[in-house]
Amino acid sequence: MDRYEIWRFDGERGAAAFRISLPDTVGLMDYLESSPRVKMVVPGSEDSVQVSKMVAPGSRDTVYVSKVAEPDVEDSVYVDSRLSRDRQYQHLLVAHGGNLTLPYGLTAPESPRRQWIKYSTINILVAVAAFLASMLVLVTRARRGAKLFIRRIAGLEAVEEAVGRATEMGRPILYVPGLDPMDEVATVAAINILGQVAKKAGEYETRLVVPNRDPIVMAVAQQVVRESYSAVGKPYLYRQEDVFYVTYSQFGFAAAVAGLMMRDRPATNFFMGHFYAESLVLAETGNATGAIQIAGTDSDAQLPFFITACDYTLIGEELYAGSVYLSREPLLLGTLKAQDYAKVVIITAMLAGIVLSMINPGIAESFKSLFR
Amino acid sequence: MKRQGPIILAFVVGMLMMIQFFTPNPFFLSLYNTVLDWKQVVLGCTFILGTWSLIRYHLTRIQRKQDNWRYSYVTLAGLGFMVLSAGIWKTTTGPYPWLFSNVQVPMQSTMFSLLAFYVASASYRAFRARTVHATLLLVAGALVMLGRVPIGAYFSGTVFGVEISLVEISDWMLNVPNLAAKRGIMIGVGLGTTATALKIILGIEQTYLGRTD
Amino acid sequence: MTFFERMMSIDRRIIFLFVALAVAIPLLRPLGFPVQVSEEVRSFHKEMAALEEGDIIMLTFDYEGDVMAELDPMAIAVLKDVFPRGVKVVALTTYAGGTGIAENHLREAAEVYGKTYGVDYVFLGYNPDWSGTILRLGESFKKTYPTDQYGKNTNDIPIMQEVETYDDIELICSIAGSALSEYWAIWAGGRYGVKVISGNTAIQAVLIYPYYQAGQIPGFLGGLKGAAEYEKLIDEPGMGIRGMDAQSIAHALMLVFILVGNIGYFFSRRAKREELRKG
Repeated sequence: MDRYEIWRFDGERGAAAFRISLPDTVGLMDYLESSPRVKMVVPGSEDSVQVSKMVAPGSRDTVYVSKVAEPDVEDSVYVDSRLSRDRQYQHLLVAHGGNLTLPYGLTAPESPRRQWIKYSTINILVAVAAFLASMLVLVTRARRGAKLFIRRIAGLEAVEEAVGRATEMGRPILYVPGLDPMDEVATVAAINILGQVAKKAGEYETRLVVPNRDPIVMAVAQQVVRESYSAVGKPYLYRQEDVFYVTYSQFGFAAAVAGLMMRDRPATNFFMGHFYAESLVLAETGNATGAIQIAGTDSDAQLPFFITACDYTLIGEELYAGSVYLSREPLLLGTLKAQDYAKVVIITAMLAGIVLSMINPGIAESFKSLFR
Repeated sequence: MKRQGPIILAFVVGMLMMIQFFTPNPFFLSLYNTVLDWKQVVLGCTFILGTWSLIRYHLTRIQRKQDNWRYSYVTLAGLGFMVLSAGIWKTTTGPYPWLFSNVQVPMQSTMFSLLAFYVASASYRAFRARTVHATLLLVAGALVMLGRVPIGAYFSGTVFGVEISLVEISDWMLNVPNLAAKRGIMIGVGLGTTATALKIILGIEQTYLGRTD
Repeated sequence: MTFFERMMSIDRRIIFLFVALAVAIPLLRPLGFPVQVSEEVRSFHKEMAALEEGDIIMLTFDYEGDVMAELDPMAIAVLKDVFPRGVKVVALTTYAGGTGIAENHLREAAEVYGKTYGVDYVFLGYNPDWSGTILRLGESFKKTYPTDQYGKNTNDIPIMQEVETYDDIELICSIAGSALSEYWAIWAGGRYGVKVISGNTAIQAVLIYPYYQAGQIPGFLGGLKGAAEYEKLIDEPGMGIRGMDAQSIAHALMLVFILVGNIGYFFSRRAKREELRKG
C-alpha cells in the first residue's frame, strides 16, 4: 500500500518523516459510498496537529477539516467527508507550537476515486479463506469416512437422562432457546439442540414446552419441534400452543418463564442460547423447584450464574458443538475439527507474538499490525 | 426445488453479504442497504406474528379452562388496552405514558432487583471451600466483592513492607486472570460463530430451516 | 440437624430479608463511604472532557425500566456534564421501553440547562432492528431515521443539518443494560471508525474490559459504582453516590453469609470425620 510521505518543512527534510497513511486505499477515495471522503491516520506527534484541505490545483485557500489536536503519542484519525468527485484536493498537515504554525507537508493533488477492495479487511479475508478451506478439507475427509475424535461433554451426555427423568416423573420439559433473535449464532445452536431434545422427548412421549422471546425464533422452533416429532414417527404429539411467544421485554420474559416453572414444575429445564442478566432469575427459580437443569451459553458474563445454579453447563463453543455432538453427523464433525485447527493457529500466533515482543519489539509491532 | 430453494437462497445472499464486507463498491453497498431495509420490514411483521401467537395461546387457555386460566384475561386486557391507548391518545399523552412509568417500569425494576436476592442466596450456596479449586473461587470472589465497593478502600495497608490495596488486587484480578479466561472463551465463540455462519451459507447446517434429519 | 448444619442451610427467605434491610437502610440513612475513582471511569471522563462547545455526541439509551436504577444515574450525569458546556446531543434508543426513559431525561435536563429541542438536542426515537440501525447509521442518519420521535422530518431539524454519518459526531456514548455497547463498538466503531464509550450494568461491565484494554471502548462506567465515580469527577453527586453505601453493605453482608456457610461446613465436616473415626 502506498503512503503519502509527509516531511517536515523545517530544514531537516528527510530527517524526520511524518506519514499521512490512507488505510483503505491509495489516495483520495470513496471510502464508503454515500459521499466521497478521505480518511487519514496521522501518527502520534509531539506537536499539536491539524489537517487542512486545499482545492487543487493552484488554490491558495485552505479549509481546516479537523480541530487542533493536542500533542498525543497515539495515532489520530481524521475524516474529510465533504469532497466532490469532479475536483482535485490536496491535504495538508499543519503543526501548531506556540505562535508558530508549521506545515509538515502536502499530499499530491488528486480526485476522489472509487476503490474495489477495502485494504484494511484483507487480513480478515485471508483468515476467512483459510478457515473455509480447512473446513472443506475436513468435511471431505469426514464424508470419506475418516474417524474424527470429539471429547466427551458431560452436559450433553446428560440430555438423555434429563429427558428420561421428566418422563418418569410425568412432568414436562422446559426448553428456553435464549433471548437473542434468529440471526445470532447462539440461537441457531440452541435451535439445533432443540431438534435433538425434541426427538428424545418425542421418543419418550414427554411434553416439551418452549417459551420464546422472539417471534421468528418461535416460528422456527415450532417447525423444528414438529419435524422432530415426525422424525420419530409421532407427529400427533405436537401441540402448537406448547411453543409460544411471551414478550420482547427481557424481565417480562423472565417473570413469565419463572412463573411457568413455579406453576407447571417441569422436571427438566434446558437454558440454551444467549442470555443476559435474567439468567440467574431463571436458573435460581429452576433450582428452587428442584428441576434437573442443563444450561449452555456463549454469554460469558452469565456463565457463573448457570454454573452455580444448574447441574450441567455448556461453556461458550460447547453450545455450538452441541447439535454435532448429539447427532454425530460426519459433515458437521468436520467443521468442528476445523475450529480446533484454527484455535491451534491462533495459539501459535499468540505464542509467536509473546516471543517476538521479548526478543525484538520492533518486529513484534509489525507482526501485531498483521492482525489489525 | 422446495428443498433446495431455501439453501440456494441462503448461499447467494450469504455470499453477497460476505463480499460486501470486503468491498465498498456502490452496487454491493446499495444491496446491503436494501437488505437492511428489508430486515427492518421483516422484523416489524414478526411482531404481528408474536402478538398473534400470544393472543392464541391465552385464548386456548381460556377455552380449555386450563390452570389459572383467569389470568389470561388480565394479559389480553393489558395488551388490548395499551394498544388502544397508544392509538387514541398517542404514546406521549394520556394513559400510555402513565401506565409505562407507573406500572411497567416498577414491575421491570422489581424483576431486576430480584437479582440482588438471588445472587446472595446463590453465592451463599456455591461459595463453599469443598476443594482447592472451590477455595480459590471463594477467595477470589470475596476479594472482588469487597474491592468493587467503597468499603474496600478501608482494606489496605502494609504487609512485610509491601503496600497492599484491596481495590488494586480486585482490579488486577478483573484485568488479568479474569480477562485471560474471557478472551479464551471469546476466541472460541468467535471461531464457532464463523464456523456456524459458513455452515449455513454452504448448506451444511439446515436445522434453522426446521429440518432435523 | 446440628447447629453447624443449620449454619450451612439457612433458608433463602432469611437471606432475602437481610439483603432487603442491607440495601434499604443505607439508602434511607447514607453512611458516606469515600468513592475511589477507577482508571476506566477516569478514561471515560477524559473523553467527555475533551469535547468542545458545538461538538455533537450520540447518546444511546440502550435499556429499559428494569435496569433504570443502575443506568439512569449514568445517563443523567452525562447530560449534566455535556449540556452546560454547549455540547449537542443526538439521542436514540434501541429498546421500545427506552423511549419513555430517554424522553424524560432529555426533557428534564433541557429544562434545567435551557436547551432547545432540535437545536441543542434531538431524540430520534426507537427503531426495532438494533443491528440494522447501528449499521445503517454509518451510511446515513437521515435515511435510518426519516423522522424523529415526534414525527418531524429529520431534514427539517437544525441539528441534523450537521449530521450525515458517524463521521460528523465526536463519539457515541452507549448506556446499555445488555451487550449493545459491544455491538456499537464492533460495528459502529470497528466498521466506521467512530469512537464508542459506554455505561453498563455491573454484570455487563465485566465484558467490557477486553474492549477497554484493546482500545475499542476507550472508557466506560461499570454499574452504580461507575456512575458514582463519574458523578464525583464532574462534581454532581446524585443517585450513583447515594447507592454506593447500600452496595457496600450488601456486599459485606453476602460475605458474612458466605463465611457463616463455610464455618458450618468446616465444623460439620470435622464432626462427621470424628464420628467415622470413632466408628
